[in-house]
Amino acid sequence: MYNPSQPMPSNARNPCRYLSFFVLILIGLVVIPLLYYTGQISIETVNMLGRYMALAIMAVGLDLVWGYTGILSLCQAFFFSLGGYAMGMYLAHHGGPEGIVDAAGWKFPACLYVVYPYAVGEAPADALVPWFWKLFYTLPATIVLGLLISGAAAWVIGYFGFRSRVRGVYFAILTQAITVAAWLVFCMNNMKLCGTNGLTRFDRLAGHSLSSDNVKMALYIMTLLSLVGVYWLCRYIVNSRLGRILIAVRDDESTLRFSGYKPHNYKLFAFTLGGMIAGLAGMLYAPQMGIFTPASMEADKSILVVIWVAVGGRGTLSGAVLGALGVNLFYNFLTTAAPEYWPFVQGALFIGVVLLFPGGLMGLITSVKARLGTWFTSGRGKNSSAGNVGAVAEGGVR
Amino acid sequence: MLAARGKRFVAVLLGFVLCCLSTAARADDEMLRATMLKLADADAAVRVETLKALAKTGDLRVEAFFDAYRLGSVYLWNGRLVVCDEIIEDDDFNRFAPLSDVLNHEPLLKDGQPLAVPIGEVQEVSPNRKERKLAAKARFLLRLSSPDREIRMSGVKKCGDPPVIADAIEPLQEIAEQDPDEKIRHVARESLLLIQLDEARSNQDREELLRLSAELGSMKSMRALPRLQDMVNDLEDADEGGDLALQQTCVQSIETIGRHQRSVDRFASVFQGLSLGSVLILMALGLAITFGLMGVINMAHGEFMMIGAYATYEIQLLFMRFIDAGTLPAVAYDWYYVAAFPAAFLCAAFVGYLVEILVVRHLYRRPLESLLATWGVGLILIQMVRLRYGDNIGVSAPQWARGGIEIMQDVILPYSRCFIIVLCALCVLLIYYLLARSTIGLRMRATMQQRGIAKSLGVNTERVDRLTFAFGTGIAGIAGYGWTLIGGVTPDMGQKNFIVDSFLVVVTGGVGELMGVIFSGLGIGLLTKFIEPLQIGPFVMGAIWAKVLLLIIIVAFIQFKPSGLFAPKGRLADV
Repeated sequence: MYNPSQPMPSNARNPCRYLSFFVLILIGLVVIPLLYYTGQISIETVNMLGRYMALAIMAVGLDLVWGYTGILSLCQAFFFSLGGYAMGMYLAHHGGPEGIVDAAGWKFPACLYVVYPYAVGEAPADALVPWFWKLFYTLPATIVLGLLISGAAAWVIGYFGFRSRVRGVYFAILTQAITVAAWLVFCMNNMKLCGTNGLTRFDRLAGHSLSSDNVKMALYIMTLLSLVGVYWLCRYIVNSRLGRILIAVRDDESTLRFSGYKPHNYKLFAFTLGGMIAGLAGMLYAPQMGIFTPASMEADKSILVVIWVAVGGRGTLSGAVLGALGVNLFYNFLTTAAPEYWPFVQGALFIGVVLLFPGGLMGLITSVKARLGTWFTSGRGKNSSAGNVGAVAEGGVR
Repeated sequence: MLAARGKRFVAVLLGFVLCCLSTAARADDEMLRATMLKLADADAAVRVETLKALAKTGDLRVEAFFDAYRLGSVYLWNGRLVVCDEIIEDDDFNRFAPLSDVLNHEPLLKDGQPLAVPIGEVQEVSPNRKERKLAAKARFLLRLSSPDREIRMSGVKKCGDPPVIADAIEPLQEIAEQDPDEKIRHVARESLLLIQLDEARSNQDREELLRLSAELGSMKSMRALPRLQDMVNDLEDADEGGDLALQQTCVQSIETIGRHQRSVDRFASVFQGLSLGSVLILMALGLAITFGLMGVINMAHGEFMMIGAYATYEIQLLFMRFIDAGTLPAVAYDWYYVAAFPAAFLCAAFVGYLVEILVVRHLYRRPLESLLATWGVGLILIQMVRLRYGDNIGVSAPQWARGGIEIMQDVILPYSRCFIIVLCALCVLLIYYLLARSTIGLRMRATMQQRGIAKSLGVNTERVDRLTFAFGTGIAGIAGYGWTLIGGVTPDMGQKNFIVDSFLVVVTGGVGELMGVIFSGLGIGLLTKFIEPLQIGPFVMGAIWAKVLLLIIIVAFIQFKPSGLFAPKGRLADV
């Protein structure tokens, strides 16, 4: 289906796209720390921004999967939680009261007490730290495993989904069902993942106290740099030949297959990478949040990520960042001002972005710019090509 | 507010029941009060006799009195017995006892005000240890002589459960022979045997034990199973020669009961599977129309079910209000559930109609976007309902939907579940008739399959769209209406309980096929109930792992049949 209002991921060197992102980096890296060190904003605000940037990383991953490859994935929050749980286990190992060890000499993570039915301070001989907790004892292992596990989960889901050519809406529903099932499993107490209480009592990250302001600032900077890194990686991919194929998968999968490509391999690549990016986001989110619960993989969380991307502008990487930050900041503002109206605003966002602004914020900016451009340059036609070269069709979704 | 309504409703019902009985009962009440007064007698023997006499009255109001009596909140005042739950204190630390009636527990009135007398005027009627125990037992003995079948049944059952009430042997024997209800006679015999078994075990009466364990086995008494098991364990432990004959009898009985239990379990899981399947079908039917037929990814489907449930609730409130105002007789209350059926359908259909006009009609060609927009619609509907009703409401099932039929010993089919199965069948027939046999159904199918041609042949396709969507959401409303009988009603019930399951049923069944929904709904229901009790070594499946395994099965199934059980064939497959 032809829909010229959708903005295209431009391959051309378009300075405006870079500009908006450079402005964001400038604000994040210079203005925010400056404001903090001059005492204009509190460390809590910086911490909050850091968390929202972690969410923006997840959104960029989804944009690669949905915006460019056309796979609507409703399990992005699941991969995010896998990364978060990995990091959470590491943090729980090094948090909570000291000196409680099990029979084999392993220090007991404090939040496991919710699961093991005994009081703090006593560890009976038969209660051991579960084997999979031990994998996450060191930071490097945690980071590697967190990325690998979220990637592997995405690969398995994608492999079986794409192999049988489950497409479009069906894939979305399938991934949502998987997320719900995973959520149920993570909530079970006998999984020894701390049940619905989640992982708590975080204390130190690589030896530094998480409650110190400097560590919070450092985490914020790290998240920002990761966001920039992920952005550039995705940008590199979508501008490469591989990226052209991904867009082709989105726009017309059948034609691509008839031209001799194997679309499911490319889909699998994008989906797995998106999952790993979400895992990374989860790992950055957990230490800044101070707690990680199964609530972060409830069904609505994944749909929220989709709406961030849609609000920002599907198929534009900076749109994903903009959408995630913008919606979350707005959420933060409104939940303090009038919490009972947030669901209305959220619902209106969903409906409005679909009915009125299919291109999202970036689409809006592009069309405004195009109109201004035609005014000022009086028909030199410089910008007129931006809107409709690679019109977005709902590839594979009928 | 809700609790107050509930209480008022109970009061209304109670008032009605009392009214019927009142004329004859008033004289009895005075007799009862006079008997109770003897509890304040100085002679201990008289008090015990009085307790026993009270236990034979079969009046449930006496049960509440026994509770108050055991807790020591019964007092003597002005030569009559009164109940006082709590001593109150005024600003000057004077203590008062607010008094209420011993029978109906309503506050005593003086000049229209609740009566509270200074603490010095009342005298405590406190039971001693023996009397307190007697009163505790009397609660169950009391139930044995109740005129109500259910209450009598619960009493009969309780007497045989550990710790057994040996005093109940006499009344139980009477019930076992004379009760009009066959089922109660059976349970009474069973309880009697169980009490005798306990006595025989403590007396080491071997002949009696042999007789009793054989008889319990032939009765297929499930309640006897743990006790017989216990006996066998004891006999095995006592290894000096042992009592082989007794042990053998017990083991035989255990086997008979075990066989019976297994067949009961098998039957129950089939029925539960059918019941779950019909719930799933009911949930998915509306979606089969809005998603299957129209192609709208209706993520607000669960919210339309929620609207149906809340419409049912509103009708219930309406009936209560009319009954309170006296416009309707109290017997009409149970009819609210019948009246709620069209209300649930129409409310959900109306909201669906509006949603179609405002949102959905712009999205017929964009399924993925319809997913997002309808999710947004769902959020708004949830929050609107939450602001209006709060977080939790209670729809009380009508009288006729409580209880169940016992189709074989120990297999009880709850009426509510049977009703859901019937409702589900009804909806399937309704949809089948409408789609396949009526003119409007013909237009619907024509529009969904070949919009352009249908339009050129004079079908008002936009109107058909609106009606079809409204019909689908109306069916969802009926599903919510049925759900109120078996589950809780909350604003976010759709997102939490229904949406994923309904979509799975439709996708597994094959989109756009009514038969597919029926088969996959029943299949998933039966399979779930088959998997749940499975046991692999020490690991029991349980509900959550059953769900995960089922999902894996569905994913594996989709590998072979990507478009579901009943895939559309021919040209339709490409649409």
